[in-house]
Amino acid sequence: MYNNLAPTYKHRIGDYWALWYAVSNSYSIIDHEFNLLLEAYLHSATKSDFLNTISDTFTVSECNGIIDSLFNYLSDCNKPYNPTEFPSTALDTSFRHITKTYSFGGKTIEINYDSELVLKTIHPALAHFCINTHSNTTLATFDVYLNNDDLFLFKDQKLISQVSKYNYHHIQGKFIMHLLCTIHGKEEHDWIGTLHGSTITDGNTSLIFVGESGRGKSTLSALLTTNTFHLLADDVSPLLAEDQHIYYNPSAISIKAGAFNLLQPLVSNFDKLPIVEFNKSKGKLKYIPSLKPKEDHYPCKAIILVDYQPNAATQLEHLSVKTILETIIPDSWLSPDPEHAQQFLDWLSALQFHKLTYSDTESVTDEISELFQQLK
Amino acid sequence: MKKENHTDKITRKEAIQKMGKYAAMTAVGTFVILNPLKAQTSSPPSPGGDPFS
Repeated sequence: MYNNLAPTYKHRIGDYWALWYAVSNSYSIIDHEFNLLLEAYLHSATKSDFLNTISDTFTVSECNGIIDSLFNYLSDCNKPYNPTEFPSTALDTSFRHITKTYSFGGKTIEINYDSELVLKTIHPALAHFCINTHSNTTLATFDVYLNNDDLFLFKDQKLISQVSKYNYHHIQGKFIMHLLCTIHGKEEHDWIGTLHGSTITDGNTSLIFVGESGRGKSTLSALLTTNTFHLLADDVSPLLAEDQHIYYNPSAISIKAGAFNLLQPLVSNFDKLPIVEFNKSKGKLKYIPSLKPKEDHYPCKAIILVDYQPNAATQLEHLSVKTILETIIPDSWLSPDPEHAQQFLDWLSALQFHKLTYSDTESVTDEISELFQQLK
Repeated sequence: MKKENHTDKITRKEAIQKMGKYAAMTAVGTFVILNPLKAQTSSPPSPGGDPFS
């Protein structure tokens, strides 16, 4: 019954099933009980056939409730995915008021901004790569400008994003995607997704820190980079389809004012880092540049939900895939390509999931060091 | 439509009976559907005034 609504892929991960629906590019994490009912529903030839399977256990009213729930669930999972589209617009070069050149290990790009305010959306996180000389061998030229309350982003004169100025984080995200493509020699369709989290490496493997804004992902990453670890990616962690590794994102670690006191004694020259005040909602920020890891990419072995709690003892505990995915999926871009969805589920199946509560900088570093040792 | 043999149906029926009413009713009432973002983004800003004023 309703086999056309069945999930495209289904993976067992720990105690749960992770399902993916191609038509909507949506995921759902269900437990054993839900899976049994869903299987029975989808494999029943008719409604009465399904009723026959469950009627010994439930009253008529309960049976009808279950049928309604399963049908509503499947309907919601099959709402068509509509990619965001925007009209094609030609580049207006009259907005080119500020030009900056950036070099990433010899790979050079140029960005044209129309104002200092627009520059603040991208430049501060990359300022440490800015060079004063113009390069004749730029790999890509970007243009970012604000026109009639819309932000426009062009790459090599082709419009790649247009959003309301209130959604400037979409311009930042799209820019980072294309920066990653440029410096790693990839195309947008080569990536499984960009995960919302910060990734650190010990030179062998990597861990992704996820969690709601303000929970201490970036602060923890900054802290660990002062202790032999390297930052692989802050905020946007890109996952490549070919090897299912997390790739280097050169953006500096963005630190909010609330973490300044914690990091000031630990990060060298912290006081000399400029304070960036883009707007009132973000408050004061500092961008901490960090040394690039030796390799461009590392396999990831665990996803860790970070929870900074003042005065809490450091604690690392196992977490279900359900909680991790409920945190990470709504905040990440994941490709709707079925091959990528399959790879994403395969990738997840091999990972460990933990929750890390911390406040003390020394013990949290020890805990992460131990985890890296275990993951070897 | 996929054909099912009789044994599969009996097994599923037995499994649902074994699971019990409470577990089944809880399961169907608590599912979550997760939709990834349709486009790449960085961390979203807090809601507020004009970011470019």
